[in-house]
Amino acid sequence: MKKITISFVLSLLVSVVSFAQVDRSEFPKAGPAPIIKIGEAETFTLDNGLKVFVVENDKLPRVSFTLVLERDPLFEGDKAGLTGYVGQMMMAGTTTRTKDQIDQEVDFIGANLGVSSTSISASSLKKHQGKILDLMSDVLYNPVFPEEELEKLKKQSLTALATSKDEPNAISSRLSSAMVYGKDHPYGEVTTEASLGNVSVEDVKSYYNTFFKPNIAYLAIVGDMSKSEAEAVVKKYFSDWKPGDVPKFSYDAPAPTTKTTVGLVDRSSSVQTVIDIAQPIDLTLGDEDYISSIVLNQIFGGGSSSRLFMNLREDKGYTYGAYSAFAEDKLIGQFSANASVRTEVTDSAVVEFIYEINRLVEDGVTQEELDKAKSNLAGSFGRSLESPGTIANFALNIERYDLPKDYYETYLQKMNALTVADINQTADDLIDPSKLYITAVGNASEIQEKLAQFGEVKLYDNMGYPAKEMAAVDADVTVETVLENYISAIGGNSAVSSIKTAKMVMDADVMGQKLTIEQIFDNPNMRYAQNTLVGGNVMQSSRIKDGKGVVSVQGQSIDMTDEQIDAAKLDTYFLPELYYGTMGYTLTLDGIKDVEGTPAYKIIVATPLGSSVNNYYSVESGLKIKNENPISGDTFYKDYQEKSGVMIPMAQTIKSAMIPVPLEAKVTSLELNPELTEEDFN
Amino acid sequence: MMRKITALGLVAGMLSVPALAQTKIEFKEFDLDNGLHVIMHQDNTTPIVVTSVLYHVGSKNEQPDRTGFAHFFEHLMFEGSENIERGEYMNIIQSHGGTLNAYTSNDITYYYESLPSNELELALYMESERMLHSKVDQTGVDTQREVVKEEKRQSYDNRPYGSILIETLKRAYSVHPYRWAPIGSLDDLNAASIDEFQQFYKDFYVPNNATLTIAGDIDYKQTEEWVKKYFSEIPKGKEEIYRPDVTEPKKTAEIRDIVYDNIQIPAVIQAYNLPPKADEDSYAMSMLSTYLTGGNSSLMTKELVDKQQKALAVAAIPLELEDGGVFLMYGIANMGVEPKDLETEIDKLIKQVQDEGISDTDFEKLQNIMENNIVSGNSSMAGVAENLAEAHVMFGGTDYVNEVMEAYSKVTKADIQRVAKEYMTLDGRVVLYYLPKPAEPAQ
Repeated sequence: MKKITISFVLSLLVSVVSFAQVDRSEFPKAGPAPIIKIGEAETFTLDNGLKVFVVENDKLPRVSFTLVLERDPLFEGDKAGLTGYVGQMMMAGTTTRTKDQIDQEVDFIGANLGVSSTSISASSLKKHQGKILDLMSDVLYNPVFPEEELEKLKKQSLTALATSKDEPNAISSRLSSAMVYGKDHPYGEVTTEASLGNVSVEDVKSYYNTFFKPNIAYLAIVGDMSKSEAEAVVKKYFSDWKPGDVPKFSYDAPAPTTKTTVGLVDRSSSVQTVIDIAQPIDLTLGDEDYISSIVLNQIFGGGSSSRLFMNLREDKGYTYGAYSAFAEDKLIGQFSANASVRTEVTDSAVVEFIYEINRLVEDGVTQEELDKAKSNLAGSFGRSLESPGTIANFALNIERYDLPKDYYETYLQKMNALTVADINQTADDLIDPSKLYITAVGNASEIQEKLAQFGEVKLYDNMGYPAKEMAAVDADVTVETVLENYISAIGGNSAVSSIKTAKMVMDADVMGQKLTIEQIFDNPNMRYAQNTLVGGNVMQSSRIKDGKGVVSVQGQSIDMTDEQIDAAKLDTYFLPELYYGTMGYTLTLDGIKDVEGTPAYKIIVATPLGSSVNNYYSVESGLKIKNENPISGDTFYKDYQEKSGVMIPMAQTIKSAMIPVPLEAKVTSLELNPELTEEDFN
Repeated sequence: MMRKITALGLVAGMLSVPALAQTKIEFKEFDLDNGLHVIMHQDNTTPIVVTSVLYHVGSKNEQPDRTGFAHFFEHLMFEGSENIERGEYMNIIQSHGGTLNAYTSNDITYYYESLPSNELELALYMESERMLHSKVDQTGVDTQREVVKEEKRQSYDNRPYGSILIETLKRAYSVHPYRWAPIGSLDDLNAASIDEFQQFYKDFYVPNNATLTIAGDIDYKQTEEWVKKYFSEIPKGKEEIYRPDVTEPKKTAEIRDIVYDNIQIPAVIQAYNLPPKADEDSYAMSMLSTYLTGGNSSLMTKELVDKQQKALAVAAIPLELEDGGVFLMYGIANMGVEPKDLETEIDKLIKQVQDEGISDTDFEKLQNIMENNIVSGNSSMAGVAENLAEAHVMFGGTDYVNEVMEAYSKVTKADIQRVAKEYMTLDGRVVLYYLPKPAEPAQ
């Protein structure tokens, strides 16, 4: 060992002697800034108005074609969601090819082809360019818009919409857009079940016939193709494309808020709050403020060394990440800052956001921050040039935003010339800290009051519409009266307490598979059995008896812990309200809430060991319409029918993090007071 | 400007039908006296440069009771050096407009940074610092142990199906060090002394076990000068590099097991042992995996996901390793489908390929897809640098980078059927069922 060390040291000495000029304590200096050579795009225009950009890059034998339509934003109104179908409908078959044939032919040459309502993009190896252009132009000229494809797409989007109604980030984005732009603006409107239902094949066709016109289109060709070849190719495939009049649309700028306001969506099962702080801004690509807004954002919240991240994550540990954006847009841009934070620190996090926004506008940035942001951005600008697509984008932007021809050629010079004063001016121009929209999606009973310090708190529903005004709870309404009302609404004390045992079977459909839930209740003996079957096989089951609980999944069983039994007991009674008193639960009335449009009293049921569920009882009918369970999710009770003198919900909608889509379960069999045997609970 | 097809390429193209065109990647290479191999590739189109160091050390070079070392060093090497302050490595690169990353496999550890080309000297200095005198001390070990603990929790323990690689390797190898995954064991890392970490550094992170690759907007002469300036003084390793000389015996029986995991939906895993990475059959196996599960029109995706709807997803991944890896297949069962049922269907399709081979059209499609993948793999400087380094270390010479396409074009339709029969054998495979762990009581 020692020997090795000595020779190690010796060899080190020797090499140090022969390379004595290396001073490792100093970092090497950067060489002169490289000259950014941005390949220039060749352009030409066809008689039908199609503008073509060619960026030749023959490093690799590949070529891509991107067609972009430049139209005004659309307000879709009662057909919101229409544009989302256009691309897939165009890919769904042509006069000579079925959808499967298109997929096969694209796969066969290892190529890509994609369509949206405002673009078509295709790419392939050079040698397959004829084939991919055949496919691309076939989809562009000859789509047949099959009815059954629209039905399939609608089904998929309804599922997606149902999921997004409970998805905190989706709710937050709808809320923020609704507040910043208003519901009558293209950027503020939302897609609903009704608006999707209104979309017909004729609508999609009419959109296609109106907007897929060469006179509003740009075609960018990038890759192994010269201008002269491009001219021949474009002539062959695109010169017969007929131009047409395309309507223009304009919109009033949304009225800005006069003072900071808070929008809140109550999602009582949330353990995190999604915070978004937003403001409309006047910012378009190419504006005087544009490049400095990018630098400003890099300093404020663009990355993991920016102020927001350093404060809210690194220093306070409120969140996994906090970021900001200055989005440019021809119609109207937006400044926003956001993070998902633990419920308890919601107000503290908003305080820090506002502190950082004020500090940015009042005190500005430092030279050190500016220098760091510049080299960071210059680096990523340089790296982005590796992709030939970037050059094509630059060429398109120059045309679309009417920029000087050397805009990107001199981009880094313009950025490097920015001073601290320039950045501070931009912060001052773009952000008004006194007129912010603060939005929060989270557990309102925990955060609503704490948010009031920032401005008037307005409640919204999960689609971004103002929440129904919920009346305050009358002074004479208590937990006891709500429960009494419920019992009498379902048949009265004697009828309800006469039900001792029950067997209930529910069926639901999950992505084409039949799902069955069997439940057996034995109230006097505190026994409970539950099986969940998929396609006839038992996937999961649980048993509670003799003060013990067992859960089995796929044949493997484990005993429940005391905490788990305590939580499970909340669900073991058929009509549990009669037993809340004897179980030693703590009940709290937490106001009137909006349950899918119905005002309902919310009652929090807490066990001695700290588990809890929320029940919602309709103010008008007294019936229980919703249960929130932190483990199994939200259950909505529907279709109350009289059985043996008691009103029983014969349909349930179950929303759980464990299932991808809301489960619509129907009671297919119900026995009240059946004879139960030991076997039922084995 | 680069010539598109060299004379050699033309000849090769004429011999093999259909011709597969590969753009030649030009490069220069040299060795330093201390054994460091240096590869340079000049491409002045974009003013960026990618600098990478491939250390020929992976989890297979570890001792059975000290697993996870190579991956641990992937973290430790960012701790700093005698001249780079703790935790500053990343900041320095980023504040000079660069990005960086690293990864560890069973065979190698790969570090790279991409910077504006006028910062090449900085990149070489930074890499030479950690090759010469990286900070391997108790503070760094303690810090990174916590980070690795979190990484294991996030990427393996808490991620559904995250333990597939660990559980498969454990059973696919009985004697070869491939039996543990690069993440290794936290217990081993906890038990290791600082001396052991320092010894591992001295053993493996030496110039004679490293390949330095520089690709991008460079000047060859200047680059060579800077490489010599910063790397020549780094001493050569004293000992011979430990490389396990173990031959994994051929399995004679199927190994079957059940793994309970934090998942909702069961999955079926199959693993078949593969020939060494550089073996000719690797190309046919890679095409076979694409045939089985690559893209929407592939055999298993079409049959099991679209038509029968027995699986939510299927994938075949050839994990190619220097001493022979595994061909890993997994299928995630659709709601209510028994794993056994899904496995039977998977086996039927494998048998179909073994008995009937593949059609001419499918074969042509595979060739097109492979060609597209190889061309696209060289579309960024980062990709080129990695391919150059790997060619030198794994395929016996840097020239291999220009021979990949030719190697693929030699694979025949019959080869694909042959390798399916030869390697996908029932009596030498590992089969795992991933089943949901019973968890919280549901309603």
